[in-house]
Amino acid sequence: MAKKPIGTPMRRTDALTKASGAEKYLSDMHFDGMLYARMVRSGIPRGTITDISLPPLPDGYRFITYKDIPAGGNNELVMIKKDYRCFAEKDVRYVGETIGLLVGPDRSVLVDLLEQISVSYEEQVPAVTIDEGLACKGGAFVGENNLFCDFTIHKGDIDAVLADAHRIFEDEIITGWQEHVHLETNAALVMPDGDKFVVYASAQCPFYVRKSIAGLLNRPYEDIVVRQTTTGGAFGGKEHFPDVLAGPLLVAANVIKKPIQLVFDRHEDGAYSVKRHPSRTRFKTALDEQGNILGMDIDVVYNAGGYESCSYVVLQRGVFHATGVYNIPASRVRGRAVATNTFPSDAFRGFGAPQTLFAVETHLCHIAAALGVDPLALKSKYFLRQGDPTVTNGHVFEKVVIPEMLDQVLQASGYKQKVAEYKRGSGKGIGISFYNHGGAFTGNGEQMIIKAKARLHKRADGFVEILVGSTEMGQGLQTAFTKIVADTLGIDEDKVLYPNPDTANVADSGPTVASRSTMIVGKILEGAALKMKERWNESEDFFTEDEYKHPEGHPWDQVTFQGDAYIAYGWGVCAVEVEVDPLTFEVVTKGIWSSHDIGVPIDELVVHGQINGGIIQSLGYAAMEKLDFHPKKGFKQVGLSDYIIPTSMDFPSQGASLVHNPYPYGPSGAKGMGELVFNGASAAFIDAVSRAVDKDIRAIPIPPETLTELMA
Amino acid sequence: MVETCYIPKDLAEALRIRKETGAHPIAGGTDLMVSHRRGTGVVPKFPWPVMIITQLKELQKIEEEDGEVSIYAGSTCHEIEVAELVPYQVRKAASLMGAQSLRNLATIGGNICNASPKGDLPVPLIMLDARVELVSATGKRQMLLDEFIDGPKRTKLQDDELLARIIIPQPKAPFTYLWYRKIGTRRANAISKLSMSAAATVDTHGIIVDFRSANGASGPKVARSRAVEETIIGLSVDRLAERLPAFLDAYDVILSPQAMPQYRRSSTRRMLEFFLSEVSKRPDTTIIE
Amino acid sequence: MTRDIQFVLNGKDVAITCDPLKRLLDVLRDDFGLFGTKEACGEGECGACSVLKDSKIITTCMVPMGSVQGCEIMTIEGLRETARGKCIIEAFADGGAVQCGFCIPGMVIAAESLLASNPEPSEEDIRLGISGNLCRCTGYDLIVESIRLAAKRGNGLW
Repeated sequence: MAKKPIGTPMRRTDALTKASGAEKYLSDMHFDGMLYARMVRSGIPRGTITDISLPPLPDGYRFITYKDIPAGGNNELVMIKKDYRCFAEKDVRYVGETIGLLVGPDRSVLVDLLEQISVSYEEQVPAVTIDEGLACKGGAFVGENNLFCDFTIHKGDIDAVLADAHRIFEDEIITGWQEHVHLETNAALVMPDGDKFVVYASAQCPFYVRKSIAGLLNRPYEDIVVRQTTTGGAFGGKEHFPDVLAGPLLVAANVIKKPIQLVFDRHEDGAYSVKRHPSRTRFKTALDEQGNILGMDIDVVYNAGGYESCSYVVLQRGVFHATGVYNIPASRVRGRAVATNTFPSDAFRGFGAPQTLFAVETHLCHIAAALGVDPLALKSKYFLRQGDPTVTNGHVFEKVVIPEMLDQVLQASGYKQKVAEYKRGSGKGIGISFYNHGGAFTGNGEQMIIKAKARLHKRADGFVEILVGSTEMGQGLQTAFTKIVADTLGIDEDKVLYPNPDTANVADSGPTVASRSTMIVGKILEGAALKMKERWNESEDFFTEDEYKHPEGHPWDQVTFQGDAYIAYGWGVCAVEVEVDPLTFEVVTKGIWSSHDIGVPIDELVVHGQINGGIIQSLGYAAMEKLDFHPKKGFKQVGLSDYIIPTSMDFPSQGASLVHNPYPYGPSGAKGMGELVFNGASAAFIDAVSRAVDKDIRAIPIPPETLTELMA
Repeated sequence: MVETCYIPKDLAEALRIRKETGAHPIAGGTDLMVSHRRGTGVVPKFPWPVMIITQLKELQKIEEEDGEVSIYAGSTCHEIEVAELVPYQVRKAASLMGAQSLRNLATIGGNICNASPKGDLPVPLIMLDARVELVSATGKRQMLLDEFIDGPKRTKLQDDELLARIIIPQPKAPFTYLWYRKIGTRRANAISKLSMSAAATVDTHGIIVDFRSANGASGPKVARSRAVEETIIGLSVDRLAERLPAFLDAYDVILSPQAMPQYRRSSTRRMLEFFLSEVSKRPDTTIIE
Repeated sequence: MTRDIQFVLNGKDVAITCDPLKRLLDVLRDDFGLFGTKEACGEGECGACSVLKDSKIITTCMVPMGSVQGCEIMTIEGLRETARGKCIIEAFADGGAVQCGFCIPGMVIAAESLLASNPEPSEEDIRLGISGNLCRCTGYDLIVESIRLAAKRGNGLW
């Protein structure tokens, strides 16, 4: 019998336990003597704490602050940058900054006590918006100019191009905050275990947590054992943010010597957790007399909030995706991450790329509208091809299959016929977008920083255990890795086990981020499995390990940001059709069609689910997920009745297809895909709406009331 | 000792508790249990005594008598949604409230007494001239729902009273045209951004003999003006087009200018204009969509 | 200020002495250890805490125990032991409906509630039937397909 292709769907390894309600998430865990915690947070956006007034605490209740960090420990959470404090000391930077942790045995008593704690401040004028941050409203609070970072990349001589241009088309595109809304809120539990501490966390990156918090107690990493608990969605929201729970819990557990659980309720999660960076992207695009694009001068600003955390890296990705899937002859992209007195912005599926990709796609539609041509005709002229120079003067390594993907989408959607049929302003519209996503860490990060390893255990009972720090958070990684290992070893998938990682006994395969796990860690696992296969008949149990090998020939300079920013990209094309209700300006989505190049799918059904979910999350971002900010109180839409995510009724079922384009350095030819599928649908949707109402749209989200204003 | 929570076994006991303690009724729990929640594993806390009346059978029926439909206060949105006795717009409004799981809990009594400006059921009920019946240990009284709801979160319910039922009178002649539209935060499981109920009766001569319209989520309470409605009652549908601009301008004035006034006003205007222009064509279908 | 409350839980008579305002959700999880019922929003928006009360789907985060006296409550732990529950769960697994899984027990309850009243639902019926259950992972398509699969396989179960 012929071996079935690896992409043939298998039942997900975690499906039955989850669907039957048997799977245990963090809030389902209880230990003897376990205490509960509630956070005490800053109630103002900027100022100095003058007093914390506590009610008398009953026996067994403690209020933990920075003062409980032992001598030698540092009050910092080590994310990519070390600037995020575990507890505010004197000054506070945003509403919701952690001040202390109230710990005790009874949740009801904790709420009573919480209501009696009052913090007094000397308030200062906050800077909330990008403009206020740049203007240093209230005085700079980060450096001299409130900028966490400011850098520029060049391709060609943009100044000369602008000087010679027939016309310069200026544009400004705005995107808002977005909340992850992983259905499971943030949660962590810390317990002393002999001389060490065990941290249970709903988290993407157990090794990140360990690295981030060990310094609070001035301990070596090994003293902090992190066990990932089954994670009910993450989307980037559990990349660094678990540190913000685990840090204070660790300090508390060190003092109290008992297991302590902290589970956010939804309103806390909405109001006091990280979000997607709001952005403002400005274009000066040089056109010649025939309307050809000669160059783009792009200015990108991301609102990073009160701490840098990973914003510099998020911004890099945004800048490196700023010209989209196009070979623009000359470009200059400046990126700035501005500090504001808002909750820190952080990782969110796409990691900075969705903002600039939305901006460039939408900008090109505006140019097309101004030139009176179909956006597709304009965009098609500039598609990147194999060997083309990138925005960072690197090269596109792989064959770019946009033409094949486009054919699939055109056929499935009936795009051309609909464009001809639905005149601009007719209330009906179809839009199309093109996007990519650089797989894995930027530049040589995998080689220089992450240095991932993967380990396999062949057990005496014949089972093979996957021992890596990569995590299942819903994306299907357990299934993908199980298939890769089983396929390489030539054994049944049910002989492969992949328990939730425990930092004490798995290899550090790097964080579960950047669409890197299948492509990078999957490949390392394949290597470990090949080694195991050679020793398969050994009678004793044994381990095999492998590590990341960087493909040759990809120069990258992390100082000048020149060279191959990414070795391989996933690519996507998406079309969305809408109808705008003429009475209410409600937008009804009539169709969604996409095609993606993710190399080769490891499991077609898992991939299908990722595409569907990523696209709906992206459509929510553009259509309805409005997150307003009150300058003194913080986020306005904090519960799920106010922060509106799509239901099953909001969007129709999708047409989704793939173009196989095997990637030589991925397992079975696979590339990353988890973020790619978020990157483009929002632009296609806005293109469609924009055509239906014959108006340029420059900001998302666009609920009906905003659309009405545009129409006025 | 004063209890914080009572569970009366019948309406008489509920009325006695109400009179003696002023306990607030909790029926479905969908508003009060949420607005007073205190987190996971913590019992919601109320600033006043409460009584759980979910299981009071006397309040769970929908019936018709002398041409009037009575929806008792404990009827759930689901029960209303599927009750053929209940007029179209009320059923429609009930069917679009939250999710199925919420509609199985939420009651009409709660939706009315909560008096939220975004409440869905009062909109068609006020358009239909519905009355409320309030009962106490010592008696009962009726008033128009439009009067009962005083303003945002305010009603004329006395401390010893409970809302027993909502009574929907029949129009003089059956409506010939009906309209209901809710603009929600999304296409299902949504809170109202704006809703509008309208109805018209056109006689065989083409004369508009009745017309009503009410708006929700457009101000502190449901917006309806009989005076404005009367400006087109008695008109022939042929003359509607010429009167429409003046009518729409007058209607606009009854909407409260607050958050998003532009959107609510302009959408209302477009919806009314659409409904009336459809009415003037005198189509065969009753429900205009 | 507690009350004795008797009800039927997953087919068994049970009794609990508790504050009548305690949420059914907390009782199921903390007092009966039924962790399949999840809390995700606490305000009746997301459906993760759905159970069947007298065969109707409800969100337990809104329900005070005082309203549960004498009722029949079925949670995912009860449903999974029934032929219908097994059919839905298997279909969810085969159809790729499950990703992070946090919304899924509630989705299974919603599927049961839908199929019980409409054994041959259209796509539109299914979408409406699960519209009170938020999922952030799947975009719903494969959940819809899986419910259709359950309906097809169930042939006579509902």
